[in-house]
Amino acid sequence: MERFGISREILEKYTFFERGRKIWAFSGKYLEIGDIELIGIKALTKGRVLKPSTAFLRIVGKRASKNVIRLNYEEMLLFMKGEDIERSFPVEPGYVIVVWEEDVLGCGFYKNGVLKSQIPSKYRMQDSWI
Amino acid sequence: MEEKAIDYFRKYESIIPDFERFLASLLTPQPYWLRVNTLKISTQKLIERLLQKGFVLEQFGNLNAYKIIEKPVKHPGATLEYSLGYYYIQDLSSMAPVLALNPSNEDTVLDMAAAPGSKTTMMAELMRNEGLIVANDINFNRIKSLAGNIERLGITDVILTQKDARVASFGLKFSKILLDAPCSGEGVYRKNPWGFKGVDERQHRYLGMQQMRMLKNASNHLEEGGIIVYSTCTYHPYENESVVKYAIEKLNLAPIKVKIPIPHIVGVDRWKDETYEFHEDCIRIYPHMVDTGGMFIAVLAKE
Ligand SMILES: C[S@@+](CC[C@H](N)C(=O)[O-])C[C@H]1O[C@@H](n2cnc3c(N)ncnc32)[C@H](O)[C@@H]1O
Repeated sequence: MERFGISREILEKYTFFERGRKIWAFSGKYLEIGDIELIGIKALTKGRVLKPSTAFLRIVGKRASKNVIRLNYEEMLLFMKGEDIERSFPVEPGYVIVVWEEDVLGCGFYKNGVLKSQIPSKYRMQDSWI
Repeated sequence: MEEKAIDYFRKYESIIPDFERFLASLLTPQPYWLRVNTLKISTQKLIERLLQKGFVLEQFGNLNAYKIIEKPVKHPGATLEYSLGYYYIQDLSSMAPVLALNPSNEDTVLDMAAAPGSKTTMMAELMRNEGLIVANDINFNRIKSLAGNIERLGITDVILTQKDARVASFGLKFSKILLDAPCSGEGVYRKNPWGFKGVDERQHRYLGMQQMRMLKNASNHLEEGGIIVYSTCTYHPYENESVVKYAIEKLNLAPIKVKIPIPHIVGVDRWKDETYEFHEDCIRIYPHMVDTGGMFIAVLAKE
């Protein structure tokens, strides 16, 4: 989260649980209960670099100060449909937080002047949506 | 099909007031209601955005419940705001059990039959993503949709389990328990008349017995001084007042009068040869009262 300049205080309210390649964020009171299916929401996936989830960025991304891309309305629609956006943005290559006006849309991947939407298909907008 | 439904529901003529209006309500489609996810957006902002997009909404009293009078899209969830988790489609009657339980961030809550999570997510909102909710369901596919809703709404104080609420151990005691029990679902008839399968007296009895087993297990997991909200979305007394009677007589739970700001009437006082002395403590919501689904609610305390 340092990549986005999200402060420790914001993250302090979460406990992070690692399970396989995934890291989950939980803000409740943790009590041992056994046979858990899921705890909190998926925050990060481990790989060559950590990939933040769209769901978690939608919660903490408003507080980001770095590597944030702001889209205009037309770009927002494309991004939310899962399409690429070709434009150069003043951010470091890698995972970015994508924002339109006051909405944190989620995670994108920026490299060589192309922003790739990382919005999971379940959150993508369809043509008939408004 | 409509005639078949009317024949089916005739069995409740003696307990449902304004019965002809009740029958008429079954023939009209149920409107959608929405709840603003105030964990992510202020009510005012979301309502403004939806109005601008052409929605017509009507707030119920001062509750976070908006009836969708008109919508510019076929499905009320076909919007950017929905994808961002700013609102949840939830019938007003389904909000009632949560209002009766009234959980706060001090509570440790067990939601025994939670999927797809309408009530879990509403409780998390009231608890401001603090405290603890253990949300359980037996059905894996339904747990997946529960997990999806939790994620979309940005809810982070929930632990999910997949257990049989009739027998499972949840490892600790809870201050509040919601048992929104699996039932014959008569109260959601209007939502999906085509998919509705009625059941007979024997099956109502069988469902009632399963509900009693769940309630017994709930009682075993309740702290002293804690409360259980028992709710169903069905009308038959065997799945409602009979189950509460069992809780009072066999589990030593005490009924507490349900008080919520949604129009309702009290429970039924008798069915066939059974009588329910405590019936005034329970409530029933019918579709012809405020254009919703049907619901039964009882609050039970361990003293
Ligand atoms: C009325 S629905 C719950 C609706 C949910 N509370 C909500 O507000 O979205 C009943 C649920 O009970 C679950 N169920 C059925 N039998 C169960 C059992 N033995 N243990 C746990 N859950 C069970 C079903 O899978 C179903 O999701």
